[in-house]
Amino acid sequence: MKLERQQISFQQLQEKLNHALAKTPNKTSDTRVGLLTSITGGEIATLMLSPTDGTAELMVTALENNKFPSLSTRHAQFHWFERALFDFFGIVPEGHPRFKHLLLHDQYPQDFFPLRKIALPDDFKNHLARRYEYLEVKGEGVYELPVGPIHAGVIEPGHFRFSCFGETIVNLEIRLGWVHRGVEKRLTEVPWQKAHFVAEAAASDTALANAFAHAIAIESILDIAVTERAEYLRTIALEIERLAVHIIDVGGIGTDIGLLGVSSAMGRLRGKALGLADLLSGSRFLRGFIFPGGVRPVSERKLSEIKAGVIALKKDLTPVIQILSDNQMATERMKDIGKLSKSLAHEFGMVGIIGKACGLECDTRQQFKQGKYPELAPQAVIESGGDILARTAVRIGEIWSSLDTIEKLVDACPHGEEKVAVPDKLPANATGLGIVEATRGELIHLIFTDEEGKICRYAIKDPSFDNWTAISIAIRDNLIADFPLCNKSMALSYSGNDL
Amino acid sequence: MLRLINYLLKQGVATAKNICPDLAEGVRGLPMLTDTPCQSGCSACVEICPTEAISVFKIDDKNNVRLDLGSCIGCGYCVDVCPTGTIQNNPTTRVAVRTREELILTTAGASAEAANKEIVLQGRTSSKIPKADSLDKAHWFSRSVAARVVSTGCSACDMELGAAGNPIFDIERFGVHIVASPRFADALIITGPVSKGMQEALVSCYGAMSSPRVVVALGTCAISGGVHKGGYAEANGVENILPVNVYIPGCPPHPWSIIHGMLLAMGKEHLAPAPKK
Repeated sequence: MKLERQQISFQQLQEKLNHALAKTPNKTSDTRVGLLTSITGGEIATLMLSPTDGTAELMVTALENNKFPSLSTRHAQFHWFERALFDFFGIVPEGHPRFKHLLLHDQYPQDFFPLRKIALPDDFKNHLARRYEYLEVKGEGVYELPVGPIHAGVIEPGHFRFSCFGETIVNLEIRLGWVHRGVEKRLTEVPWQKAHFVAEAAASDTALANAFAHAIAIESILDIAVTERAEYLRTIALEIERLAVHIIDVGGIGTDIGLLGVSSAMGRLRGKALGLADLLSGSRFLRGFIFPGGVRPVSERKLSEIKAGVIALKKDLTPVIQILSDNQMATERMKDIGKLSKSLAHEFGMVGIIGKACGLECDTRQQFKQGKYPELAPQAVIESGGDILARTAVRIGEIWSSLDTIEKLVDACPHGEEKVAVPDKLPANATGLGIVEATRGELIHLIFTDEEGKICRYAIKDPSFDNWTAISIAIRDNLIADFPLCNKSMALSYSGNDL
Repeated sequence: MLRLINYLLKQGVATAKNICPDLAEGVRGLPMLTDTPCQSGCSACVEICPTEAISVFKIDDKNNVRLDLGSCIGCGYCVDVCPTGTIQNNPTTRVAVRTREELILTTAGASAEAANKEIVLQGRTSSKIPKADSLDKAHWFSRSVAARVVSTGCSACDMELGAAGNPIFDIERFGVHIVASPRFADALIITGPVSKGMQEALVSCYGAMSSPRVVVALGTCAISGGVHKGGYAEANGVENILPVNVYIPGCPPHPWSIIHGMLLAMGKEHLAPAPKK
C-alpha cells in the first residue's frame, strides 16, 4: 500500500507507542509495530500496522544529535531493531539494555555504517567495540557451550552460546549476521526494474514471498493495479511455496524425533510440491515468477495439471501425517517442550507460525491486501499450546488449508492477460509498502524513493527477525538435548534475518 | 511403528534409475548458445541480464555473444528476448565443470578463448588463496567421498542439496556422504557467496581437513557472488578465498546437477552419460 510519511516528534511517537502497545489485562491491543528503521540516518521511521482495518502508518521522527532514548526499555519488541539501527546507521539508542552490534562483525572497520547517507555529527564518538562480548552467566557449575557458526547439518550459519547448568539451559544467546551480504544496500544500487532478482535472493526458500512483497510495494508506488488473473496466479504461487516448505519442515520434525520413515516420505512428497512450482513457473523455487506488473504466462493446461497434482498430493500426504500425529512417542516428545507464553509472544511481537502456535491472531492473509487476500483467505490455523506440538500442528493445519486454497483458486482463476505495462520511472519522494504472509510469517518490504525517483532506502523485515528471540525464551530451562527439535519446530531463516 | 513400516513397504522404490535426465519441457535450466547467428546491433540480452553475465562483442563486424554461466542465475529473460534464437534454454542437468573457463560460452568458438581467460583472471582478486591440493589421483575418491557442507548463502542451494539426498535422487548410492565434521571430510562443498562474516570460518574449516581435499563451489553465488557481487560485504564467491576443483552453476542448481558435480569430483562422470536423443 502507498504510505504518507508523517512527521512527528519523539515525544508524540512515545505517546503513540505507549497507547498502542499498552499491556492492559484482557486487552491485547490490535495495533502492532511492523518495523523500526531509518531512511538516511538523520531520523527514525516507525511502521505501525492496524490489522483490523488492514492499514498502516509510517511515522518519521527527526533526531537531534544522532541519538534517542531507547524504546526497548519499555517495548521489548524493539531490542533487535535498535541494535540494527546502530549497525547500519550509527544511530545510538541511549539506555538500550543490551547494546551491542547485531549483524556486522569484527571484520568491518570501527565507524563503518553502510546505509548512512548523511555525515556523522562532528562530536560523534563510537564507544562500542566491534568485538562481541557474550552475556556471561556466573555461578559454580555453570558452563558455556558454543555451537556454530558452522553447524553439523546442511543448514545456514549462526552461533548459539548456551550457558548450561548440568543438562539444563540457563541462557541462550544467539549471534547472527554471518551471512550478511548487504542485500538492502544492493537493492538501492541496481536499476529498480532488476531489483526483484535481488529481493528474491534475500531468502530463497521464501523467494516467491519476497518477490511478491517487492511487487506490491513497487506497484503501490507506481499506483498501478495488476490484472485479476495475475492476482490469482500470485496467490496460488504463494500457497505452493508455503506447502513445499511446510512439508519439509514437518519431515524435519520426523528426522529430529527419530521417525526417519516419516522424514524420507515427506522429503519425497516435497518433490511433488516443487513439481507444482515447476509447472506454474518453470522453477522449483518459483524464481522469477512474480515481477512488478504481473507474472509469467501460465497456460490453462498447466493450471489443470496443478489441480490434479494437488488432489494427488492430498491423498499421498494423508497417511504419512496421520502416522506422525498418531504416534504416541512423537506426541510426548513434542508436548510441553520449547514452550512460549502468549503474553511474551505478544510483548516481543512474534509473528507467523510461532505467534499462531501461542494463540496470537497474526495471519496477515486475513488482514492485509496481498493477491486475492484477504477476500479469499483461508481460516487462520491458531493453536494455544505454544510448544513444539502446537507449532507442528499449525504447520500441518496450514498444509491442508494451502492445498484446499490452491484448488479453490485454480477453479476460480479467470482468463486474461498476465501482465500490465509498467512506467519507466518511479515517482519522487514516494513510499511503498508490501506485506505478505510468507511461510514463516509476516514479511515486510518498505521502499523509499528520493527526489529523482530512485530507490534511496529499501528496508526488508523478514519474519525471522522478530522471531529469533523466541528460541532464546522458549528453550530456557529446557534440556540441551531438546534444542535441535525446538529449533527445527521454529525453522527460522538466517539469511532473511542477516540480509 | 508397524504402520510406518507397512506404509513404506507399500510405497515401493522411489529412486530414479535414469541418472541426470534432461529437464521436463517448460522447466527452465541454464541458457545455452546455438549456432544461429546473432542479430547485428542487438543487445537485448545484455540489457535485460540482472547479473551482467552476458556481453556482446564484435569479430569481423559480426555480433558475437559471450555468456558466463558462472554469473547466470537462470532467470531465462535472455531466452525470452533473443530475437534470433541464438540464446536458448538448455534442458540438460549435466552442467558441472572442472574449470572456471568452461563456464564461459561464446559464439565465436576458439578465437575467443584467450579473451575468456582474461575475464576469469580478472575475477580472481586475491593472491592470498592457498594452493590447491594435487588431485591427479582422483580415483582416491572414486568409491566414496565424505563431504562437509558450509553454507554461506540464502539456503536454496542447501535445500536442493538436501533434496539430492531424498529417496528420488539418493546421492548416497554414488558414495557421497554428508558428514558433520571437516576432520573426516574429503570434499568441502560451499554454497553462497562467502561474505565477510563467513570468510574466517570457511578458511578454518578448510584448514581442519586433511589432504587431499576437493573443493566444490555449489551454485552461482559460490562461483561468482551472483547478485551480491561487488558489494561492501565482499560477497564475491569462493574463488577469492579457496582453490576450487568443481563448479556447479545454477540458482539453485537442480539436485541432478549437484549429483553430476559430485560425480565429477569423484572422477565418475561416466555414470551420467548424455541422454540419447
